[in-house]
Order: sequence, then structure tokens, then C-alpha cells
Amino acid sequence: MVPFLVGFVLFMIVPLVYAIYTSLYTTKIIGGTVFSGASNYTQTLQSSQFWSGVVRVIIYAAIQIPVMLAIAFFFACVFDLGVAKFGRTFRTIFFIPFAVPAVVGAVMWSFLLEPQFGPMVHLANAFGFSGTNFFSPSLILPSIIVIVIWEWTGYNMVILYTALKSVPRDVVEAAILDDTPLWRIIVRIKLPLVRPAIVMLIFLNTIGALQLFTEPLILSYFETGAVSANYTPTLYLYNTAIAADQTNLAAAGAVILGLVIVVISTASLLFRRRRGEFS
Amino acid sequence: MTELKGRDADPAASQSAAALPGPTSAEGARRQGRASEGGMGRWVGARRRAARKQERLEEQDSAIPVELYGLRRGTVTLLTTLAFLFAIFTLVPIAWIVINSTKTQANIFETFGFWFASPFSFFHNFSLLFQNVDGYGTYIQWFGNTALYAVIGGVGATALSAFAGYGFSRFSFRSSKVLFYLTLAALLVPITALTLPLYLTYAKAHLINSIWGMILPSMISPVGIYLMKVYTDISVPRELIDAARIDGGGEARIFFRVALPLMVPGLMTVLLISVVAVWNNYFLPLLIFNVNTKYPLTVGLGLWSERAQNSGNAQLFPMVVIGGLVTIIPLIVLFLLLQRYWRGGLLLGSIAN
Repeated sequence: MVPFLVGFVLFMIVPLVYAIYTSLYTTKIIGGTVFSGASNYTQTLQSSQFWSGVVRVIIYAAIQIPVMLAIAFFFACVFDLGVAKFGRTFRTIFFIPFAVPAVVGAVMWSFLLEPQFGPMVHLANAFGFSGTNFFSPSLILPSIIVIVIWEWTGYNMVILYTALKSVPRDVVEAAILDDTPLWRIIVRIKLPLVRPAIVMLIFLNTIGALQLFTEPLILSYFETGAVSANYTPTLYLYNTAIAADQTNLAAAGAVILGLVIVVISTASLLFRRRRGEFS
Repeated sequence: MTELKGRDADPAASQSAAALPGPTSAEGARRQGRASEGGMGRWVGARRRAARKQERLEEQDSAIPVELYGLRRGTVTLLTTLAFLFAIFTLVPIAWIVINSTKTQANIFETFGFWFASPFSFFHNFSLLFQNVDGYGTYIQWFGNTALYAVIGGVGATALSAFAGYGFSRFSFRSSKVLFYLTLAALLVPITALTLPLYLTYAKAHLINSIWGMILPSMISPVGIYLMKVYTDISVPRELIDAARIDGGGEARIFFRVALPLMVPGLMTVLLISVVAVWNNYFLPLLIFNVNTKYPLTVGLGLWSERAQNSGNAQLFPMVVIGGLVTIIPLIVLFLLLQRYWRGGLLLGSIAN
């Protein structure tokens, strides 16, 4: 218990406090470090670069999460009901990308989607979509969404599958004896009973989506300019801290991003507690 | 937790047997056999049909036979096909990286991506992983670093989670509830949100390029603590601990001799999750290491990708491909071997909410 608490304080609380402290100062080439109050915060909050990233990850989350959860829920139901063959084998295959680091996943997909040589581009051309460029401004976000769906659908599917397994059997049996069609059993009985798991996955995925970083960064290695330096809030923080060496400004950005995430987490906890879904 | 134990005893159980209490693999197999029968009995009268359903449901105490769902003919085939298509989508990048690890740099770009091309260059590519090409670092060293960070970080996270989870589960002391809520709150803030503050602190404390700067934060695993608390709650009977206390066992003795053996399946899950988290971590090492001898695989491969494209070091491309393949093989093997543990762990997660 004690080692954990020491670690918790050292590696979670101290860095946060230090980040807040840092964010209140400004380092200038002439004049050194001076206390500047909220100026880093106002600068970040007024920065269109920061906000364009925030808007982009919100759009990204709004598309990626529903699509992924729909696929995951669909297959979780199929395997739970046993209405497809080789369910166990498919579940294992779907889960494999979870074991692949995001860096390697993004590297593999970058090769596949690469505009000049990528096999996917040849495929698109063969289907009549000539001149397709998956790294173009209009297709880069869908490409990232496909990569992330590839990485995480299996994991979400396994969680939903285990949740579905806990639906009481007699409820489903009663519905079958009433000649209820299968899709209604799924929508009216199973879906409401696994709602807590779905709510949890929505929040966990949202928190993950707001911190999108690895995939766009790796894509930008393969196609310079495909992804701007402020494409997502985390990329903005990274480039502000490392490339631009403005650590004070980046600290303020980290605090703001952290607050947004904490607000979402807390809201989800309170929401679930009030609904009695969380103990 | 009888579910988990039952499954451990019978790894051959079918997918339906995975989470329902009691079923045997024989029943699973019978059910699978029935899946192919299709929508039999659709022409029988409604009442007789209901009676037959009732009969079937009674004789079968695990999974519900597929034909009772009243599906249209061909539904099973259609759904199997859809699952097959998604499996192909899942395996395409893996197949690509396996095939292209055998190619030369020119062939990676100039030949068909999903078939082999001569010359067969796998062993040459593989040998490059042991060399420091162009001074960007040696893959095998990164592999060693990753293994070191993952093993120490993973074992440490598991040990700390076991102590803390057991503590939260068995002792109520002042503010223990507050502390647990704090842990839960941290559960919802993944490490990337804390990484930049951590980096700033390291820069101040001269911990940049220290391997402990990578390993120690990896040991703090709110997910692990949460899972261990839930697992202790349901797998270590309170009466057993109380009995051991009455017998005069010290708290440390009780923990190691009585509780820990019962917690082993949960510990394996946490170990698996923690090792994977460190193995796959990118943002933290990217920030805190600026010499390539300290890099883990993720940062090293990222650097190679960037250099290959932007510095004209095109000979790095085959190395990125084979390096990526060698990076994912250990984890995929680990997952296939320890399937019952990750399934159990995720099950825990969904029970708990």
C-alpha cells in the first residue's frame, strides 16, 4: 500500500502540481523566467492552433467511436448467440491487433496506404477510384479512423462479449418461447442489459480519442505535411514543448487538456453512480 | 469466480462455455453440430413448436440451440462470411509485414505487396537488426531495452497492484475510501495525459535519459489496482482471512500464505496488461529519452521511419518492416499462450461495472 501511495504521489501528483507551477511562469530570452500569471492560459485558449486540434479530435471521436462500437457489438452478439461458425477462432483473430503496438500498427498501415507504392492505392485504382490519395487532406482523417478501428475493435468486442455472456439465460429463453424475433431479443433484452458496459466503453474510448497522438505522428513521418504540427491537442503540446521549446506554454496546454479529460471522467462517474450502475 | 476456475480447468470448452457456469465441452460441441441444421421445424404448428422449444431448452442447460432463434436459411452462412471479411481486414497488415520482411528495399515498393519476390532477403534483413546502420541505433539493443522496461515495469506494477488491491479490499482505514476514489479517477486519465507534466518534472530533476524515469511510472497502474481489488473481493473469502487471524498469523504471513495463492489468476491478468502497456508505450519514452541507446522498440522504429522518409536513408525501410514484425511476434505469441487470462481479465472488468 505504502509503496503505491509514494509512487502515486511522486509520479502523478507531483508532476501535475509542477506542471501547474510551470504554467504560471514565462521564460524569455532576455530577462529569464518571470511570473506571468494566467497569460499562458489565455494564450493557449486564444490559440486557433490549439482549438483546431480540439475540434478535430472531437469530430474524430464522434465518427470513430460509434462505428467501432457498432462493429464490436454486432460481432459480440453474433459470437454470443453462436450464429456464426468458428466463433472462437474469429474472436482470437479479432483480438490480435490489441497486441500490436500503435507505432507498428501505424507503420504497417502507412506502408499499405502510401500514395505512390501502397497496395491499397493500387486496389483503389483497380476499382476505378484513380488518383486516390489516402494521405490527402480530405482522406487523412478517415485513414486514421480506419487504423484505430483496426487496432481497437477486437478489444471492445471481447469486453462486450463477456458482458453479453452475463445476460441471464432464462430471460432469453422466455423471449424465444414467445416467438420473439432474434433482432428484437438483441435490441430489447440484450442491449439494455449490457448498457453499463457500453457506457463504460464510450467514456474510455472518448478519453483515448481526445489524446490521439501516435497514429497521426507516424503518418506524418511517411508523408511530410499530411498532418500539421497542431493536428491534435497532444501533437500541439508535443511540438510546443519539444520542437518550439516553449515548455511553459505547453504546461498550460497540458493542464487545460487534463482538465477537459478530468471533467469528462468525473461527469461519467457521477452520471453512473446516480444511475446506480457504479459501485 | 467459479466461472474463471471452471474455465481454467477445461481450456477446450467451446466459446459458449467460456462464460456460462457449468457447461462442458461436450455440450459445446453438440451445440456446434446443431448450428448447421438451420431453421428446422418451421413448418410445424405453433403450439407444437413451442412445446419442442421448451423440450430443447430443458435438455440443454448451457447455450441455446441456434435453430430455436427462428432464423432464415443462410443466416449462419451470411454471418460467418461477414466475420470472415472482418478477419481478413484484421490480418491484411500482418500478412503484409510477414511477406515484405522477406523483400529487398526495391522490391518492397516495386512488387505486388501481397506476394513474395526474389531475391529472398529475410536473413539479410534480419542480420541488419544486429547492426547500427547509419548511427541511428541498434535494433537488438532496443529490443533488450523494451524487454527490460516491460519485465521490471510489469512485475513491479503487478506486485504493487497486489499489495494495494489487497489493502483496499481487506482493510478499511481512515480515508481509504477517498484514496480508492482517487485511484478510480486516475483510472480514467490514461498515462498520456500525465506524460508531459512527467517530462517537465524529469527535466527539472535531471532524470532525462534515466531508465528509472521510464520504469517507475510504469509500475503505478490504477487499472491493475482496480482489477486486483475486485479480484480479491470475489476470490479471497473474508472468513478465510478472519480464521487465519484468529489462528494468530501475522498480516504479512496471511497475505503471502493465504491470500496470494488465491489471487494468482488475477495476478497473471494484471501482469499481462502491464507488460503490454509498457511494451507498447510510445509517448513517454519519446519525450524522456534523447539518446538512441536508451530507446525502446517503439521509439526506435518511429525514428527509423522518420529518417527513412525524410533523410533519404531508404535502406532503413526493410529494417522498419522486419523490425516491426519482430516487435509484434513476442506479444502475439504471449497472447495466444495466455488466452484464458486476458479473457478472464476482461471478464473481471465487465463484472465490476
